[in-house]
Amino acid sequence: MFIDIQNMCFNYTNSSAKAVEGFTFSVQKGEVISILGRSGSGKSTILRLIAGLEMPKCGSFTLAGKKIFDDYTFVQPEKRGIGMVFQDYALFPHMCVADNILFGLPKMSRHEKMKRLKEVLELVELEGFEKRYPHQLSGGQQQRVALARAIAPQPELILLDEPFSNLDTDLLVKIREDLRRILKKANATAIFVTHNQNDAHALADRIIKIKDGRIDQVGRPCDLLGIPTNDEVELELLPEESQKELVSV
Amino acid sequence: MKKSFGLLLIALLLVLAACGNSTKQSSDTTTTKNEKNNEKSEVNLYTSRHYDVDDGLYKKFEDETGIKVNVIKGEADELIERIKREGSATKADLFLTADVGRLYRAKEQGLLQAVSSDILSKQVPEKFRDSDNMWVGLTKRARILVYNKDKVEPEELSTYEALTEDVWKGRVLIRSSENVYNQSLLASFINIDGEEKAKEWAQGIVNNMARSPEGGDRDQAKAVAAGIGDIAIMNTYYLGQMLNSQDPEEVKVAEQLGVFFPNQETTGTHVNISGAGVVKNSKNADNALKLLEFLTDEEAQYTFAEANYEYPVNPDVEQAELLKSWGDFKEQDIPLTTLGENSAKAIMIFNEVGWK
Amino acid sequence: MTKDGFGMMRRISNVNGWTIGSVLIIILLFVPNLSIVTGIFTPPSENWAHIQEFMLLGYIKSSLTLVFFTAIFTIVIGLSLAWLIAQYDFPLRNFMKWALILPLSIPPFIGAYTYHGILNYTGIIQKTLRNQFDITPNPAFFDIMNVPGAIFIYTLFLFPYVYMITRIFLSNQAASLIESARTLGKSSVDIFFKVVLPISRVSIIGGVSLVILEVLNDYGVVKYFGIQTFSTAIFQTWFGLGDLDSSIKLAASLMGIVIFLLVIEWVLRGGKKYSFASTKVRPLPLVKLTGKKAVIATSYTLFIFTVAFLIPVLQLLDWFVLTFGKVPMEEVLTYTKNSIIVAGTAATLIILFSLVIGNFSRITKHKFGNVLPKLTILGYSIPGAVIAVAVVTTFIAIDRFLAPLYLSMGLDSALILSVSLVMLVSAYIIRFFAIGYNSIESGYAKIGTDFRDASRMLGVSGFRTFFKVDIPMMKGAIISGFILTFVDILKEIPLTLILRPFNYDTLATKAFQYASDEKIMEASQASLLIVGVSAIAIFVFHKLLREEPE
Repeated sequence: MFIDIQNMCFNYTNSSAKAVEGFTFSVQKGEVISILGRSGSGKSTILRLIAGLEMPKCGSFTLAGKKIFDDYTFVQPEKRGIGMVFQDYALFPHMCVADNILFGLPKMSRHEKMKRLKEVLELVELEGFEKRYPHQLSGGQQQRVALARAIAPQPELILLDEPFSNLDTDLLVKIREDLRRILKKANATAIFVTHNQNDAHALADRIIKIKDGRIDQVGRPCDLLGIPTNDEVELELLPEESQKELVSV
Repeated sequence: MKKSFGLLLIALLLVLAACGNSTKQSSDTTTTKNEKNNEKSEVNLYTSRHYDVDDGLYKKFEDETGIKVNVIKGEADELIERIKREGSATKADLFLTADVGRLYRAKEQGLLQAVSSDILSKQVPEKFRDSDNMWVGLTKRARILVYNKDKVEPEELSTYEALTEDVWKGRVLIRSSENVYNQSLLASFINIDGEEKAKEWAQGIVNNMARSPEGGDRDQAKAVAAGIGDIAIMNTYYLGQMLNSQDPEEVKVAEQLGVFFPNQETTGTHVNISGAGVVKNSKNADNALKLLEFLTDEEAQYTFAEANYEYPVNPDVEQAELLKSWGDFKEQDIPLTTLGENSAKAIMIFNEVGWK
Repeated sequence: MTKDGFGMMRRISNVNGWTIGSVLIIILLFVPNLSIVTGIFTPPSENWAHIQEFMLLGYIKSSLTLVFFTAIFTIVIGLSLAWLIAQYDFPLRNFMKWALILPLSIPPFIGAYTYHGILNYTGIIQKTLRNQFDITPNPAFFDIMNVPGAIFIYTLFLFPYVYMITRIFLSNQAASLIESARTLGKSSVDIFFKVVLPISRVSIIGGVSLVILEVLNDYGVVKYFGIQTFSTAIFQTWFGLGDLDSSIKLAASLMGIVIFLLVIEWVLRGGKKYSFASTKVRPLPLVKLTGKKAVIATSYTLFIFTVAFLIPVLQLLDWFVLTFGKVPMEEVLTYTKNSIIVAGTAATLIILFSLVIGNFSRITKHKFGNVLPKLTILGYSIPGAVIAVAVVTTFIAIDRFLAPLYLSMGLDSALILSVSLVMLVSAYIIRFFAIGYNSIESGYAKIGTDFRDASRMLGVSGFRTFFKVDIPMMKGAIISGFILTFVDILKEIPLTLILRPFNYDTLATKAFQYASDEKIMEASQASLLIVGVSAIAIFVFHKLLREEPE
């Protein structure tokens, strides 16, 4: 298996409750996976554990045959070869688009760097934006820069944290399609976290539903969407008013 | 991260240590070089006097003797504490301060050593030397009465004690009890009249104050001129400074004031001293003694009197013109050490009678 | 069990340079203070009953009066100025933006002497009335040597703390809130009381707590004015009664009060760490004032600037001219150089240490990582002279410990560090760490951890990230922290006096030397240089910050 996670668990230092428990999952190369769950379900924690930004309490994780963590090892996030797109993109405000993208490139000649910069900008269709600063870009453009920055060092795996939460709804469909196209074109293995079932459906090859820090269901979008056995996921599909009613019940 | 920070820190530390020591290290090396023929190349001074005239005298001493004078200036009690904590390793050779109470305290804490020489005995009267030769006086200041010439006739004035009488109600000006000159003044009364009487005096002054104490001695003089009160208790040399001020208005004010030396018929005017003692763990005690002799010789004493309007302790020295114009006066005849012994008691009395 | 065990092992292996560095620095900062903390537990001396009966209560009362009213007035002035400058455009605004920080460059004790010099019987006002107009006003009317006068002095020279911190907050962070209030059709007054005031709470508290600590700790102004406060009680006990133990006991109680205030501050901001970790930091667009409103805004800012800076500086200049040639000038360059070097070094170290500890506090998941840095603020609560004693004691102990090393290096003296600038700089760091750390901490809070995480996800190590991402993004916080500490150290007095090496003078010690002998005119030269150097520093700070891309 390209990614193999066994029995990963985690709890925050100031609480004894397990935030993530018994997370076991495998991914094939080139797959796009969605982790779906409501806020507080532990889905973002799983992403941060995979990234290395949190330290798991137990479990093991191999990526492309390389041991990332188990009982005795813990590879620091910068050594994992994993790229990440943050929820609010975290583009460095003091750097222009080009510098943001060049930031993560490994040691290589200037020529190669420029070539890579051009490639990824082409990929995200932002040629000509090199000298712009993040605050001069629209939300969608910022997201594509963040994606380009994450893809540029050619990571084994790309993580995306709520990639659509900061975007206008009328742009959403186009951006979702763009994102899937870019990921597939780059032949990237990707895991993204969302609370929105439509996003998951539109983007993912497979979906993992998370509830209370545990895996609730796993399957292809077409399999899961047809049979919503889980009230939590169903919630997301209902109009807002009825959501409130349900909660109050 | 850690490594480069550590390196940076060490580098900075070294640079700083070098800065602070550069003068000394160079003189240290000369010390070792000259050790055989001349080991008296420096003297380290902790002083709470910070007058420009002192610096001039140190320079002169250096020129005359070739002994380098190194100075740390600070507040007296902080310096005492520092000498105490430095213990046997201290660099201090001579401790110099502007209040006999502090000299007493340094002596009590065992920080000073006895020194004597014929020259010192000749230049400084016994009265201004410690009974155990732990310190010697350098200059005198008298705490006098200053009055508004328009409102007060000198005949109305007699003693410190008379200021507690009802005629002076709302007319007396004096600074806060936090000031060491006031503490010494009350300490002298404790010695002369006893604690009971001294407390009565303090209470009487508080009752007659023209205003709640504020400002320094100069401010009391100005308040007399301004008519806030009619009479102020202050030190001589502040009035000297005002009379020679760069500000013509201050000179004008000072000229409106009369000077009166109280208690001439009785116990004498209160006098405090600046003085110095050789530090017990001094490494250059001989040089310190030389400096003491230098500071009490006629020339230095004249400089003190001339530049700072202080009274010289050396009886052979002629007083500055201004001081001469105020005339001779009778001083309190009490051992100066008692001022130190009674100063804590004085502060408690001040607190008890509510003298701010 | 085993799982926790392995968790611990990995955790320890993850204890990195940040942790070690932070713990070391905190120990360095805290150990000298220990001798004060232990002072609480020494049995009371025979003086203690006297101190309690005659000194403590009244002194605490006047201290609290000073603190309370100074806090109120600095908030009123600081916040109103911050709001005007942050939200409106009016004539002279761009100058006032930085000029209103300048009063910080005047040491309060010099300010007190100067204002008294202006207002007293021989001062310019009464003198002119008397000599030119033949009017002799009641001198009591011009008396500022009392509690209200001290409040006036503290307010004038300390309000910039509140102004500066609040203005930066309002300009950078509050745009969307204020704008939405504007679009809701609220009047300026409404916006001020219903939006600006509540949202600036945290930065106001931050600024005013610095003011309060300065007031509690000040000795120069109250000593000169003859006001008895907690800090006079501490020194009276030490200098007057010769009872250092009791005075340390008092200092320890003062520390207790400060800890109490810190807890209150923490409660007031709801125990929350205030983070504005959004990438959408956007400046507030200015509203242009015209006509009468513009006149009022300009007059108000100009009035404060005049009273808190221009008048004292002009008076100092006048005295400088009067005494020109009477004060030795030849070594003035040396004093200035000394001042700049020693303040610059200490401020640099404070910022470096703050960056290390702040980063540690930010990335550590452990509670003690958040509590520990708070302890370092204690130095700011202890009177300088008491810190001096603690530091001397500590350094003499270090020298004793290092004595064999000195011997092997061929140094013939037993005291090396404790007669060097190392001791003075260390004392500055202990005393002023809180000022620098405050600034750095809010800088970290502002950028959050996302950028750091993003950088590491791009394969860049934590160490490089610190220099490539964190430091450039915190430029503002670093510069403002540096300038604040630099300016504060430049005017520091008790530590500098007592802890400096032989033959070492700074501008502040020179100014104090004359002022303490009631020669305020002679003190003008050194005072003006303090003001000049600080003013240049503040101006540079202003320039550097403006160049930031927005």
